[in-house]
Amino acid sequence: MRTEHALGPAEAVPPGGHDVFSVAGRQIGVFNIGGDYFALPNTCFHQNGPLCRGSVGGTLVADAASAWRPEWRLDGEIVVCPWHSLEFNIRTGACLAYPKRRVPTYPVRVDDGVLKVTL
Amino acid sequence: MFVVDLDVHVNEAPADLAPYCELPWRKSLEALQGVPHRYLDIPGFAPNFNPWAVFPTLERRTTVTHPAQLREDLDLLGVDVAVLFPDSMLLHPLIKPPDYAVALARAYNAWLVDVWLGKDDGFRGALLAPHQSPTVAAEEIRRYAGHPQVSCVFLPSCCVDPLYGHRSYDAMYDAAQECGLPVVLHAVTAINPVFPFNLQGFETPFMAHAASHTFASIVNAMSMLETGVPVRFPGLRIAFTEGGIGWVPWLGMKLDKEYGERRRDVPLLTERPSHYLQRMFFATQPIEEPEHLQDMATLLGLFDGENNVVFASDWPHHDFDHPDKVLQIPISDEARRKIMGGNAARLLGLEVPVR
Repeated sequence: MRTEHALGPAEAVPPGGHDVFSVAGRQIGVFNIGGDYFALPNTCFHQNGPLCRGSVGGTLVADAASAWRPEWRLDGEIVVCPWHSLEFNIRTGACLAYPKRRVPTYPVRVDDGVLKVTL
Repeated sequence: MFVVDLDVHVNEAPADLAPYCELPWRKSLEALQGVPHRYLDIPGFAPNFNPWAVFPTLERRTTVTHPAQLREDLDLLGVDVAVLFPDSMLLHPLIKPPDYAVALARAYNAWLVDVWLGKDDGFRGALLAPHQSPTVAAEEIRRYAGHPQVSCVFLPSCCVDPLYGHRSYDAMYDAAQECGLPVVLHAVTAINPVFPFNLQGFETPFMAHAASHTFASIVNAMSMLETGVPVRFPGLRIAFTEGGIGWVPWLGMKLDKEYGERRRDVPLLTERPSHYLQRMFFATQPIEEPEHLQDMATLLGLFDGENNVVFASDWPHHDFDHPDKVLQIPISDEARRKIMGGNAARLLGLEVPVR
C-alpha cells in the first residue's frame, strides 16, 4: 500500500539542491529543479551505487538538430551516479545510456512547508 | 564465502614516498610536494598526457590513503583479502630518467611494506618491478619475498617498452619463479609515446601477422563508432575483411561496458555501441579454427553473426580459407545460406538467384 512520509522542512532542499533521506528503511533522493521537487531511489540499477549522492548538472547531446556536434543540454536536470557515472534524467528516472532502463520516480510535494514523499 | 580481491589501489603521494627515497632523487619528490595533486596526472611522478575536454559532474577523485579507511571499505564490499596496487605508479614505465624510476620503485616497495603491510589487516602487497632495470627488479623480489604479506610482483603493463616478452627481463622472471611469487600485469589508460603499438618488438611474423590484421580492424571500427559514422551516414554499409571474426564480440562487449560510464564522449550514439557494430559486416577469413568446432557456432551467436558475417576466401594468398572451413560450422542451413551468400547480397546489393 502506498504511504506518504514526511521528510522535513522544504527549505532543506533549495532550488538546484538535492539530498538523501532515510524513509521507512529506504534511502530516497529528493531534487529541487527550479522549485519543482522530484524523488528517486538512492540505488542505481547498474551495480547498486548511491545514485542520489551524485552530482547534478547537464549533459552532452549530439543529433541532427545540432549538426552532429555536442551541445550542453538539460542543465540542472541530470544526476550522475558517483560509482560509474551512469546519467539519469531526474524528471523521468530515465537512464541516458540505456533508454529502455529507468529508475522509479516517487510523488513528492510540499505540504505546509514540509516535504512529503509517497512510497 | 572467502573473498579475495586481486586489484585494490592505495594512493601514494610524492610526500609519502620521499622519506623512503634515496638521494638525489628524494629531492624531486620533495620539490613535487608543492605541485597540486591531480589523479594519475602529476609531472615527474604520474606522467600522463590528458588533452581531453572536462565536463562537470563526471569527475571522480576517490582515493584510499589510510589502512583503517581501506579496511572499512573492504568490509562494506565483503572482501576478506585484498592485493594492493598503487595509483600513480601505474604509469611508472613512463618515468625518466631510468635511475629515478628505479629509485621510485625501491621507495614505493619500502613504503608499501612499512605503511600497509605492517600488521595483517587482510592486505597483501604487490611489489613494483622497475622494468627499467630487471636486475634491480630481481633484487627487490628477493629482498621482500620472505615477507609474509608480500604475495606477488606488479609489472606495470601500460607504456612498457620493450614488451614483457623481451629477454632482458629474464633475470626478473628467474627471481619471481625462484621465490614462488606470481607476476601480475596491470594496465592503465595512457597512449605514450608509441604504446600500445610498439609491435616492432615482436620477434616473429607469427605475432605480427595475428596482431596487425586484427588490430587494424579493431581500431578502425572504434574510430568510426567514436565519430558516429554509422549515425551520420545511416545508409552507409560498412564491412571488414581479413581480420577474422573473433574480435567482434570482444569489441562490442568492451565498448558497451565503457558506454555506461562515458556516454558523453560519444553523444552521437544513442544505443549501445554493439548495436551499431552488429549492423556492420565481417568477412570470415582468416576464419578462426578452435579445437572444438562447436565454439564457432557459439562465437557467431555472440554478435548475431548469422546476419552480419560474410564468407571470404582471400584466394590465392597463403592464409586463404576453402569454403568448406566455413560450411562445416554446425549452424542451421538457413544461417549457412546467409553467411555463404545472403548477407553478402545484402551488403553488395546483389540479387540472390532462385535455385
